[in-house]
Formats: sequence, C-alpha cells, structure tokens
Amino acid sequence: MMSLIRTEFTKAAVRMRSIIIAVLLVGLPTLIVIAINARGDRPSRHDGNGDGLFRLASQSGLLVPAAVLSVTSGFLLIIIAGTLAGDSVASDSSWGNLRFLLMRPVPRGRLLAAKAFVAATLIWAATILIAAAGLVAGIAMFGVHAVTVPGIGGLGGGFSLTTGDLLVRVVAGTAYVAFGFTALLALGTLFSTLTDTAASAIGATIGVYIVSEILDSISQLGVARYGFPTHYLGAWETMFTQNTYSRDMIAGVVVQLCYLVVFGTAALLWFKRKDIRS
Amino acid sequence: MMTDSVVEVEGLWKTFGSVSAVEDLSFSIERGQVYGLLGPNGAGKTTTLRVLMGLERPTRGSTRLFGTTVTPSSPELFRVGALVEQAAFVPHLSGMRNLRLWWEAAGHHMRDADLDGALAIAGLGDAVHRKVKTYSQGMKQRLGFARLLLGRPELLVLDEPTNGLDPGEIREIRELIGRLTSQGATVLLSSHHLSEVEQVCSHALVMNHGRLITSGTVSELVGATRSIYVEVNDKQRALAVLSGLAVVARVQVQGDGLVMELVDGQRSDVAAAIVSAGLQLETIMPTQRLEDAFLDLLAAGNAAQPQLHGTSPANSIGAN
Repeated sequence: MMSLIRTEFTKAAVRMRSIIIAVLLVGLPTLIVIAINARGDRPSRHDGNGDGLFRLASQSGLLVPAAVLSVTSGFLLIIIAGTLAGDSVASDSSWGNLRFLLMRPVPRGRLLAAKAFVAATLIWAATILIAAAGLVAGIAMFGVHAVTVPGIGGLGGGFSLTTGDLLVRVVAGTAYVAFGFTALLALGTLFSTLTDTAASAIGATIGVYIVSEILDSISQLGVARYGFPTHYLGAWETMFTQNTYSRDMIAGVVVQLCYLVVFGTAALLWFKRKDIRS
Repeated sequence: MMTDSVVEVEGLWKTFGSVSAVEDLSFSIERGQVYGLLGPNGAGKTTTLRVLMGLERPTRGSTRLFGTTVTPSSPELFRVGALVEQAAFVPHLSGMRNLRLWWEAAGHHMRDADLDGALAIAGLGDAVHRKVKTYSQGMKQRLGFARLLLGRPELLVLDEPTNGLDPGEIREIRELIGRLTSQGATVLLSSHHLSEVEQVCSHALVMNHGRLITSGTVSELVGATRSIYVEVNDKQRALAVLSGLAVVARVQVQGDGLVMELVDGQRSDVAAAIVSAGLQLETIMPTQRLEDAFLDLLAAGNAAQPQLHGTSPANSIGAN
C-alpha cells in the first residue's frame, strides 16, 4: 500500500499545476494581509462572520489565518480541492495510463484508496499551507497579541481571546475547514471513476458544490439544507466571533462523514466492477 | 492435470448491452508459440485482450493465464508484459520515472526488474530521462516495450504495436519483436498488418465480428487456400503428370514454373507425384501470401455467418 501511495503522490504532486497552486496559496495570504493593513478598520463583528474576522484581524497576526480561511474556503479552496479529487482517477484515464496500471496485480480497491488518500493529503496540505502562510504574513505585519472582540452594537457581551486561545482555535479552524472537504473528496473520487476525462470529473465536483451553495442560500428549503455538503462549512467561525464551539461543527462533521461513507462506497463498488476501456 | 498452455480462452463472450464484441471465442497458446490474432478493425481483438488482461469481465466463458482463471489484479498478471493499444504514460514525468513508478506500484523492488536489459532492448538512450510529453509516438511505443519487458515476463501481449507509427518506426518495432521472439518469448500479437504476423508468428487465429473464423499454423492458413506454385526441371512433362492427378483441378504454365489449384489433398501429394515421375522438384510453395488467405477466409466467414450463428454481423461491434 505504501508503494502505491508513494507512486500516486509523485504523480499528483510533481507537476506544474501543483507548483502554481502552492505559489497561489502562499502568495494570496500576503496580499490579504496587505489589504487588511491598508483598510485599517476598527474592530467590529458586524456584517457577518467573514467580514467580522477581517475587521478583527488587524489586532493580531494570529487571527489572520482565520480571516484568510474565511474568504478562501467558500470558493478558492473548493476549486483546488475539487481539482485534486476529481483528477485522482480520471487523470490516469485521460492519459491512457490507467489500463497499464491495472494490467498489473494491483487490486483496484487498494489503488482507489491510495488515490483518494493522496488527494485527501493534498487537500489538507493546501488548507494548512494557506493558513500557515496567513499566520506568517499576519505575525510579520501585525505581531502576536490577544484580541478583544466587541459586543454587538456596543451593548456589551464582548470577550477577549488570549494568544493561546487564538492559536488553538486557528488549529481547530484549519482542521475543520480541511475536514469540510471530505464530502467533496468522496464526490470527486466517485465522479473521477465515472468518466475518462479529468475536466469532466473536476467540473462535476465543483459544480455540485456551487449548486449546494446556491440551494443552501434559499431559506425556504428549510431543514433539507442541513444535508447539503456546504451548509456547515462556515460553522467554525463562531469560535472567533462568538467565543463558542458551535454544535454546528459537530453536525458538519457528521454530514461530511455521511457523504464519505455513501459516495466513497459507491466509488469503490463502481471502480471494482468497471470495465477499463481507457 | 498439468498443462503447458500459457493462454486458454474458452467460450468467451463479451457483450455491451445488446451488441456483441466477442462471441464464443476459444483458443489456446502453448509455451514458446508466437501467436497472431488477426482480424479487421472491429473484429473484437482488443476486447479479447482486455478480458485476457483483467481489464474487462467476460459476459460468459473464461480466460486463463498459466492455468489460472484471470480476474482483475490476478497475481498471474505479474508474469505477463502487455502493450494493449498505444503506449501511454504520465506525460509530465520522465520515461525513467514512469518505468520506476509503474514497476514499484505493485510493491516490487527495482532490483528485480532488469531495468537495464529492458532499456537496452527498447534502445531509447538518454531520451529515457526526458519528460514523456516530449516523445514522438515511436519513442512512446519503444518505452512501452521497455515497460512490458520489466521483470522478464513469460508472456508478451502486443496489441497493434505498430499502429500510428511511420515506416521507419514500424521497421524498428518489428525488429524489436523479432529479437524478443528469437529469445524464446511466448507472444500473443494482435494485428491487422498481415505482413507483420506472417513475418513473426508461428500460429495465427483469424476472427471477424467477434467470432473465430479459423486458426492454425501460419503455413496451414496460407496453404488452406489450395493454390500452389512449383518449379521442376521439365515443365512440359510435369504439366502432363499433374494434369492427370485427381487432386489437381487446374494446372498451367506460369513463368519458370506451374501454377495449380488443388481440389482435395496436400502439397505433399503433388510433390510425391512429381518425384515419382522422376522429375526434379526445385520449388513448391503457396501462390498467395497470408494477406490473400486472410481475405479469402474473411469472405468465406462472412458468407457462412447467417447460417452458422443466426445473428446479423451488423449487430456486432469491435473495440479496436
């Protein structure tokens, strides 16, 4: 299994696309920090969590990773994660290389598991990289300080977060965001086994997430929205804006695991039965 | 019972929905044979090879390698080197890295791969360190040969190995196949280039519309057409002798020799008659090459199909 993982990791990571993504993930937080510094707003938590995190970020470099994750997890990281997941099997198919892999005594289930594991590793690496880049850029620009979050409308209820609190919550938030792409990973892997074209698999994966976000914004759909893979993606931000570990984070983990089990199993069953014609 | 069959295909059917790619195909290949799988595009050759290599599941029937039924990722596949359709690689990695990753993916060490031997046969030189996306199709095919030779497999499965190559590259690949067969490898070569099969194969199987038309040694297939050419020391006397033979339907002088059609019987009957008449037999050979025999066999097979199978050829597809 380790040799398969090593092989798949080399194929996925050692390519120009990965270098471009890495440069983007390192460079973007720097630009965000410059933007936060130029904006120079006073601390507030109005106008939604993401914007609140942006306003608070200039208080401490330790809060910058949260602000960066907040603005990138809803789009940029979805595209990157969708690309990595959707590409996992379909890239080999589109190169015509999959049949040569499977003409060897390589169990299909093990190959799929290795590909999904590598995609998951790279998704986590991308999330950690952008958070770490934000942390470094934030500390360099704003230093390391505790943060005071004001109450809504100046009516009290504000709170303070020590540097230790911030660090722990940044780690928890990063892990939650990375884990929040588990459903995407399972869907992308399934789509990747269904088509021989990498672009189709990537497009379908990202498309599902875009549709999910659109539907999730329609409140008339009621409780049905709780099952969408994107519904709980932002649940971690309350750790910084309301000083609570939201129950929605647990719900989000459960939803992600459900998607992993259902669509991961579907991908495995399909891939093991599939006629390889590419 | 121990068998020396390297490949056994028994009653193989492969259908896609309502259409058949392979119908009731059976054949076997013994160790050391160089076996040609002949058929026009769409005959079902590639589908047969895909099933044999565990890429597709048979609808009915079975395929065995070294006496073991083939399933996806069957351990017996380790003993096979295959080039099914055109060689393909991870384009952004070098040829060498592709070879290493492919070999190590199955958990084997490079020291068991005989990498140097495979590279020497493929003859890529320093180009093996370049990214594959810079390769010509011929170079990819040669790298494909290097890959299939890793680990010194006992059986080589080659599917249209010269497709898409220019004449120079075709010649190089044929010479490469010739070197491999001369080293005693068991080979299954699928092709619609008849001269390729005629040059390198000892046995051949002809299929069309997914069905077996005929099989045997290449010389039997060529001989099955019943038209032969002889050269003797006295053409006129030979003409008289052969005209009286019951197995000869028609005989005429052509150039330095005589051409005749056999009704029933073998070339040996003609040779025996010539020698018995005190003539000196200098040459005896089929008048046509495999290409003529192949086309005759396909025509005969097409004519016989409705009676034999009750299925319209239009319902069959191939996957080449």
